[in-house]
Amino acid sequence: MTILLQVLSTGVGLAGYYALIAVGFALIFGTLRIFHVAHGTVFMVAGYTFFSLHRLLGMNVFASAVVGVLCAVVAGLAIDKIVYGPVLRRGGGMFAVFIASLGAALIVEAGFLAWSKGIVSVARTDMLDTFIVGGVAFRAFDFVIFAFVAAAFGALYLWLHRTSTGLEVRGLTDNADLAAVVGVNVRRTRNAIFLIASALAGLAGVLVAYDTGLEPSIGFKMLFIGVVAVILGGVRNILLGTLVGATCLGVLTAFAGFLFPEWNSFTIFLIMIVLIIVRPQGILG
Amino acid sequence: MNFGGVVVFEDISIEAPPSKVTACIGPNGAGKTTIINIVCGVFPPRSGEVYVDGVRMSGVRPFNTVRHGLCRSFQDVRIFPSLTAIENVLVAMPNQKGESLVALFRPGAWAQERANRERARRLLQALALETAAERPAGELPFGQQKLLSLLRAIATGARVLLLDEPAAGLESDLIPRVVDLIRSLVKAEGRATFLVEHNIDLVRQVADQICVLQAGRIIASGDVRRVLDDQTVIREYLGQVYNV
Amino acid sequence: MEHLLYIGTLIAVWTIVALAANLVIGYTGMMSMGQAAYLGVGAYATATLNILLGVNFYLALLIGSITAAIVGAITLLPLLRIGGFYFALATLGVNFVFFDIFHNLAPRVEGSEGLYGLQLPDFLASSAPRFATTVAVAIACALLCQGVVTSPFGRALQAARDRPDALAALGKDPRRYQLLIWTFAAGLTGLAGGLYAATLFYIDPTLFTLDASILVLVYIGVGGLASTTGSVLGVILLIAFNESLRYLGLPSQFVGPFQQAIYGLLLILLMIFRRRGLVGKYDFTE
Repeated sequence: MTILLQVLSTGVGLAGYYALIAVGFALIFGTLRIFHVAHGTVFMVAGYTFFSLHRLLGMNVFASAVVGVLCAVVAGLAIDKIVYGPVLRRGGGMFAVFIASLGAALIVEAGFLAWSKGIVSVARTDMLDTFIVGGVAFRAFDFVIFAFVAAAFGALYLWLHRTSTGLEVRGLTDNADLAAVVGVNVRRTRNAIFLIASALAGLAGVLVAYDTGLEPSIGFKMLFIGVVAVILGGVRNILLGTLVGATCLGVLTAFAGFLFPEWNSFTIFLIMIVLIIVRPQGILG
Repeated sequence: MNFGGVVVFEDISIEAPPSKVTACIGPNGAGKTTIINIVCGVFPPRSGEVYVDGVRMSGVRPFNTVRHGLCRSFQDVRIFPSLTAIENVLVAMPNQKGESLVALFRPGAWAQERANRERARRLLQALALETAAERPAGELPFGQQKLLSLLRAIATGARVLLLDEPAAGLESDLIPRVVDLIRSLVKAEGRATFLVEHNIDLVRQVADQICVLQAGRIIASGDVRRVLDDQTVIREYLGQVYNV
Repeated sequence: MEHLLYIGTLIAVWTIVALAANLVIGYTGMMSMGQAAYLGVGAYATATLNILLGVNFYLALLIGSITAAIVGAITLLPLLRIGGFYFALATLGVNFVFFDIFHNLAPRVEGSEGLYGLQLPDFLASSAPRFATTVAVAIACALLCQGVVTSPFGRALQAARDRPDALAALGKDPRRYQLLIWTFAAGLTGLAGGLYAATLFYIDPTLFTLDASILVLVYIGVGGLASTTGSVLGVILLIAFNESLRYLGLPSQFVGPFQQAIYGLLLILLMIFRRRGLVGKYDFTE
């Protein structure tokens, strides 16, 4: 029983990271129909920047984190302007954008591969506190993650429902063509979407770099888990959907990791394939 | 038949006999394309049946309709843009021995392909399209694409043709050719043709019998000349078109 | 010289993979991101039969190819009802699913990650005959593929790619053509897998990852979609380019990442400037 709770608690902890990445991805995919594979790379940019500044150069942890997130934002916006913009302008559709996104992710990941030589980079310098409650170990850091996720989702909710840009974003989710006709400032809204999504991915990157460390392929792994979470939860209700999807997936991956440790990818992607076949619109869609 | 609350038809019955052209006219939104969609199995009717040659067609999926002798054309042309015009017609022909992975080794496949090509060329000639035969269909002007889609439906060899606004968007000098083609198909080959149209001139020239659809009901049907001269019809519908 | 023959053999192997991939992606419009899975199935089936069960190499090659074809059909069937983008995503998932299968279930030599010890027939023992045989097979495959795409079957494939709904309205179920060509392509890819195992003498799961599937996409993307010449061209150009990188004098840890970055850049440039590839005939606009 305690093992069950332990796995559950690990799962919920993982879910926090997934939620941060998935919600950004869902924002971009749900509104702009762009399968932003490079979202995982944005996550890594923040993580590696944070690692370099804090662990290698000794900069203060909070300052390094902020710079990391800022770099992620710049990276995300840059990819949209430099890669997606030209592809779309020349008649590329969703598929072409996906391939281009893959290309961008490959380039940046190659950079990290060369730089880090494939070893894991952990940004934190001391051990994380754990405490035991009823036989189950909780990490203090999990509460930090939880706090960030709650704050992020709260802020997102306010943004989507209380600001004019947020309203435009929700309009785009419902019907992108109609939104453009009605006069939604697509470019400004688009920039806002990439900014916020990248910031969230950056936040996740910093947290993961601090927690378990980074290796060059983690961006891609995290991204696809985010994708499955979004497919699970659906894009009809971005916030609730991603939370549901991420939690389910966090718990699922924790159990899969515990029961079949060698079959992680298999489980996640099999779930994704089954979902795509059976219910692509997700649980809430 | 209704779509989510909007009742499209109530209680209509249409018969399209072989060797005759049956036309269906009516204002937009009367449900003319829906009739074709129902017959082809795109939507199932809430009640009622579709029969082709005495065979019930309930639940027949769209790609099986040709096997039952039924083929339709689309209002928005759906030709294959990267295939040439003649290839578009060729791909429609049924029972091709060459359509298998081992086509290279099948005897008779090459001979059949040559014969099919000849037939395709003649069909293209009937609508003055033979000069465009080797051009990718995506590059052709809309009018020619429209004609091509008509030829495609014909090439399937289906005994019953459902044509959705075959003249829409065509330049007026092409319309007589369409009339000739439909008439020759029907008379010479005995096919049944059901067409949905706005172009009353075309209907007058080519149809044998007609039904007039308005707001989901048939307000008149029968011999084409009689119906088109009927005062009610002229007032209700033609009046809008002709300003009579 | 040995090395040149080796590279030449690899080019021949990847040409077969590219030809098969172009059949399904370029001609039939089915975006497959999981071709590496079938390559792996063919390689592992051939290697297992030959090394562990002592089956004659040629026979093992044939069975490996057929196994890959069957696996191809089985993996496609549930996906036939999904279109376009989600289909691509699902094939991407297939890659990872098979990687774990290879990693956990496939036989391996004690103490190593992979499988080696292929018993080749005497004729193929040295690299020159191996090169000649593989090239001969590649040429045969190219002719076969060309025959398929210029036949009425090939015409129906392209119609299924352009407007599957219209093809159905003409009385031909696009899914039948999709299943047939996919199975055929998986079989060809499996054949290439067996030859790959013979060329490398050692196979392990890391050869059959998403990276390999993306590599195939880059080969046909650069060479040209819906073009037999394109498939061959892309492979030759890119592998030759890859080899030339060795002479640049980069430190060895940078060679791999540099190649990856170039592929990424090529993908982006292709999507912006020339989606159809060098000599390709299909420009996808979805």
